[in-house]
Amino acid sequence: MSDLKSLEHPTLKVPYEVLNKKFRTTQKTLDREVSHFQNAVQEFERDISSDVAMTDTSHISSLLSGMVEKLKVLKRKADEGINDELQAGLVCKKRLEHLKEHNSPCEVIVKNWRRRRLDRMLVEYFLRCGYYNSANKLANNSDLNDLTNIDLFMISKEVEHSLANHETSKCLAWCHDNRSKLRKLRSTMEFNLRIQEFIELVRQDKRLDAVRHARKYISTFEDTRMDEVQQCMVLLAFPTDTEISPYKDMFDETRWQRLIEQFRQENYNLYQLSSQSVFTVVLQAGLSALKTPQCYSEIKEARNISCPVCQEWFNTLAKPLPFAHCSQSRLFCSISGLPLNEHNIPMVLPNGYVYGEQALVEMSNQNNGQVICPKTKEVYWLKQAEKVYVM
Amino acid sequence: MDACLAVDREVDKVLSKFEDMSKSYNVVLQQLIDNLEIIQNDWQNNAIKDENKESSINEISNLIHKSKEKTQQLAIEHRELHSTVSKVGKAIDRNFVSDFNATCKEDIFDDPKNVTLLNYIICQHFYRQGNLDIADELVMESGIVIEPSIREPFAKLKHIKESLVNKNIYPALEWAKENRAVLDTQMYPPYPLVKRISSASNLPIRIPYHAKRTKFSGGIMKPRPKTKKIKRMELAKKILQQFYKSSALEFKLHQLAFLEIIQKGVEHQTEAVAYARANFSQFVDRYEKEIQIMMGMLLFIPQGINKSPYSDMVQENMWDEVIELFTRDACTLLGLSFDSLLNVSVNAGCAALPALLNIKHVMTQRKVNDIWKGKDELPIEIDLDSEHRYHSMFACPILRQQSSDTNPPMRLICGHIISKDALQKLGITKLKCPYCPMEQSTSEAKHICF
Repeated sequence: MSDLKSLEHPTLKVPYEVLNKKFRTTQKTLDREVSHFQNAVQEFERDISSDVAMTDTSHISSLLSGMVEKLKVLKRKADEGINDELQAGLVCKKRLEHLKEHNSPCEVIVKNWRRRRLDRMLVEYFLRCGYYNSANKLANNSDLNDLTNIDLFMISKEVEHSLANHETSKCLAWCHDNRSKLRKLRSTMEFNLRIQEFIELVRQDKRLDAVRHARKYISTFEDTRMDEVQQCMVLLAFPTDTEISPYKDMFDETRWQRLIEQFRQENYNLYQLSSQSVFTVVLQAGLSALKTPQCYSEIKEARNISCPVCQEWFNTLAKPLPFAHCSQSRLFCSISGLPLNEHNIPMVLPNGYVYGEQALVEMSNQNNGQVICPKTKEVYWLKQAEKVYVM
Repeated sequence: MDACLAVDREVDKVLSKFEDMSKSYNVVLQQLIDNLEIIQNDWQNNAIKDENKESSINEISNLIHKSKEKTQQLAIEHRELHSTVSKVGKAIDRNFVSDFNATCKEDIFDDPKNVTLLNYIICQHFYRQGNLDIADELVMESGIVIEPSIREPFAKLKHIKESLVNKNIYPALEWAKENRAVLDTQMYPPYPLVKRISSASNLPIRIPYHAKRTKFSGGIMKPRPKTKKIKRMELAKKILQQFYKSSALEFKLHQLAFLEIIQKGVEHQTEAVAYARANFSQFVDRYEKEIQIMMGMLLFIPQGINKSPYSDMVQENMWDEVIELFTRDACTLLGLSFDSLLNVSVNAGCAALPALLNIKHVMTQRKVNDIWKGKDELPIEIDLDSEHRYHSMFACPILRQQSSDTNPPMRLICGHIISKDALQKLGITKLKCPYCPMEQSTSEAKHICF
């Protein structure tokens, strides 16, 4: 499995969902406009068939112009709709082209691509954390606006913002927009919003309005969530500062916060985004793969400044993660950093430290056959170093 | 890559179908509109005589019949595209993985403490990339506190790097002079041995100034004379100094400046000599050879350095080399690694995640659910690039266990290495090496360290 395959699902799926949505709306408008036109045609045919001679010229002319108008509208709408779909398709295409660069033979391009991949992940992470300005800045800086799902999050930003201000209209509009999909996902978003509206009315002591509101909106949920509806209707009987447990929670301001959370989740579900950002998932996997017991060793010498997990911040982050699995020895010369193998035979100095042959020979060549252990600073002759065999 | 191509094929189909449709219907609908408009104009202007009315109406009926058909067709054809569109979605779902659930611990990054740490890390990443404005924005939005003293050096480094890119060495030179004392103690292994600049070997090793304890073998023996001890330390220092090179940044910068002057031509040669006199004498003990080469170049100024035996000295990539050198020195001075650690870990993660998802697939088939729960090791070995290996890992070839502080690698007298646990299992006092006929007693095995 390649890294593209495992990491890039959201990069492609979101523009696909947009395309799909555009397709549905276009289909709807087309159907509507076609039926408008057909109605006009029917009207014309009815009038004509009655009697040709009787119908006067101006009437026919006006009917004709009506049909032409309808047809023109149809054409314009069809154009617009298909154009929208094409645009959405092109976004998919653009992202695919970008992903294909990953396999470029040129090293510079791949390196650059990886850098941008990190930036893409960071943009998404920022968006999920709600750091919208940082996300925008980074996306502009690395030219990632078309490659990240920034638009999607900007829409949700508005909805979240309005929910934080205790307004439901935007979120309801969003529910309406995505009604068929939400129904398939069995979303309770709209229901919860209506309940919240009801609670707010009760809070303002407009209990009659609340009842009217409930009749209009909440009664439709009666068959599926009767219990909750009943529970909510009980609120009418209680004062807003009630201490009785389920009802006290319902009056709580944090319910708005929960609505925001729910909205986020539903929005992710709608576009099949996982609840975790790709960035954090990848970071965890990476830290785990790099984590060795040496990174947590008491001996400071064992730590390596280039190793992420040895660094203080990463070290704390990686604490709960599992260690890398190691069933085959992987040894490196700590002088040269080269792997120890048959081309660079490991040699042990009398003090027990192992280095690569290449580095020791190089050192002894410069010092008349003497080597010095960089760790203990003891001086030895090269011939004192003995070969070791690691299976 | 196949995954991409599979989706790409479907997207291409969608795009071409929509394009075709848009083109063909544009023409057809426009034609219908035009025809209808002509007739409508005739009617409106009463240009149609009574005897022609019937035929005109017939014409209209034909036309509207046709348009009725066409419009209906449009709606139907558009609806039929749905399968093409949804194939894209299916291709994406089939070829890409959307579910990471079992490969991560959800709660780790929920902890506000860890979120702050992560933000620090990201911030530092942007600092070192030189994107200070993004880091600043992040600091503001996430509300973390970063001391100005952390940010300041990065701003300075960014400035120096930018001027180096613009071929201005002076800010860098100034920086090197300021930090000369520290830079001189940074030791790097010699270049030909180390091809990768980002490897683990860049650990600076400082020469010890404290003397080693003198050993007494008996009460009567006198301690070694002091002069000799100092001599020994001097020797050790000299060996290390000859082997490990201290930072060449300052010299390289001067060299660049000198080469720039030389390349200007004959009329600047006195300037070049003056520059060499002023600056090179301080480096003569370390870079004698290089200075000789550079002074030799003076001979060839008239015909141009490019045509001289020294032509390989004046290449564009010298600047890149110096920039790299500067970055390396600056990072070690700040106690940072050469690569951005975030970059390193994310790249490692990108390599590790596919393997983890694969093993997850196998494990769920065998009804072993969560990979990460209750385990202190990943279920499989992740094959990272050798660049990502920062620690030597010794796994005992007998027990297949990673060595640790309590279970260190031991060298048998034949040179084979096994872990201490394995050694104790093989024999209490005597053992035969598992790999060769050699016999020895357990106490002869020696503790080694990689």
